[in-house]
Amino acid sequence: MESGNPHGVSRDDQNVVLSSLEPDQLVEAKKRHIPRRRFKDSELVLLWGLRVYLLFMLAVVAYQVWTAAR
Amino acid sequence: MGAGAQSGRQLRVLAAEDEVVVTHEDVDRAHDRARVTAARGGRGLRGRAWLLWLLIGPGILVMLGENDGPSMLSYAATGAKFGIGFFLPFVVLTFGMALVVQEMTVRLGAATHRGHAELIFERFGPFWGWFSMIDLGIGNFLTLITEFIAIRAGLGFFGVPPWAAVLVALAVLFSALLSHRYWTWERAVLAAAAFNLIFVPVALMAHPHWGAVGHAFITWKPLPGFNRDTVLIVLSDIGATVTPWMLFFQQSATVDKGLTTKDIRFGRIDTVLGAGLAAAAAVGAILATAPLFGRISAENFEAAQFAQALVPLIGRFGASLFALGMVEAGIVAAITISTSSAYAFGEVTQRPHSLNLPMTEGKSFYAVLGLCAVAAAGIVVIPGLPLVFVVLVVNVVAVLAMPPALVFLYMLVNDREIMGDLVSPLWASILSKGIVIVLTATGVLYGVSIIAPNIFAALGGK
Repeated sequence: MESGNPHGVSRDDQNVVLSSLEPDQLVEAKKRHIPRRRFKDSELVLLWGLRVYLLFMLAVVAYQVWTAAR
Repeated sequence: MGAGAQSGRQLRVLAAEDEVVVTHEDVDRAHDRARVTAARGGRGLRGRAWLLWLLIGPGILVMLGENDGPSMLSYAATGAKFGIGFFLPFVVLTFGMALVVQEMTVRLGAATHRGHAELIFERFGPFWGWFSMIDLGIGNFLTLITEFIAIRAGLGFFGVPPWAAVLVALAVLFSALLSHRYWTWERAVLAAAAFNLIFVPVALMAHPHWGAVGHAFITWKPLPGFNRDTVLIVLSDIGATVTPWMLFFQQSATVDKGLTTKDIRFGRIDTVLGAGLAAAAAVGAILATAPLFGRISAENFEAAQFAQALVPLIGRFGASLFALGMVEAGIVAAITISTSSAYAFGEVTQRPHSLNLPMTEGKSFYAVLGLCAVAAAGIVVIPGLPLVFVVLVVNVVAVLAMPPALVFLYMLVNDREIMGDLVSPLWASILSKGIVIVLTATGVLYGVSIIAPNIFAALGGK
């Protein structure tokens, strides 16, 4: 039994979906945005600190590879 | 959000009066969920076992997937370089760390029904989201290359040429996708991942000294020397169990499987089972190569060379199993890691992203998955490339990228607006903070060992 659904999903399948999935599990529901969160100052300091840490350490890895390759 | 997100009701995204648009992806997921709902009515041990069978998957896959090519090489190098001692309990401890971290992704996925990349972009914005994606993209691609190196080396033990080895791996990867059903894909990859336990019988063939094994687990001794090699192996073994792709994969797979807040307990059991099985395989790999301790130099050893070196000790059959284990480790990880990249790409670009998608509806998802794998496989067959360096650094890079990824995870899982009552309990928050500190400190120690090796010498190391 076909429905008017744009994806051509049968009425039986629609019923299974509506009875088995939570509303937020539907693909369509995930198109709605979740509100943005504001960072505290301490969180921003932590995130930037870890970003600098990562970049520095990757430079160290590159240095190790370079010295090993020589 | 999910049923457990009591105080996050204002974020509920689908109002009852909205027109419901149902896709094929929804239908496939709903059929899987209908079986779970039916199984909940089952009684007795058999009923619970059936429900567990339906709900396991992401946890076991992520843990056995992370027992990948470079990880198994790292464990093999650990056994050959340090024998039976400190690293046996240490490796088990790293799986404990992975368990704490991965459990959070189960809760996040079940409570929000959103993938990890999607949540980072939505909650923290594209600026931090892209940083996270760049870390994931680089890490995943480097790791994928190493998976194909392991596959090439493992099959090389049987005389298979490199081009044929990567073609076999790609054929397995694409075969798993043919059903366009998450459930079938998951079961097929689980069956392949079970082969990771081949390292346990290989370890038994090496006839380990069980007294020494028991002593090592109880006392954590003998301790390794404090030097640059030890730091590198410590970092490498940690990178073999906790890496950013695991966070993204397990949360996305939890969502794709359709787990809800009612399933979190089973999600945890799934993750514990995965950690236990993966730890057994890791310890198996260490015990299998421990007889090589003091006999060979394990520097830059590739899989085939380990297998070759094991022939006199455990025979041709045992060495062949070891090589096949490396091939399996590489193939399963290539599948899970390329899937994690495809999930993340779909989540941030808001394109369809599910293993339930038919090819016509999931072109970009399958294209990213396939292209990542093909590109990594292509690099491995280019003659003369210094691939051993990639193997050397990939676990190190994974550990270094973990603290920023863990901070995002920590912030999300403690975000009451999206998690409601499912935020982490105090003990889990303390543990996760401790893991961030340990990982960062280990990274710093590694940096010091490279930049100022004299400090190690002054402390009695080399």
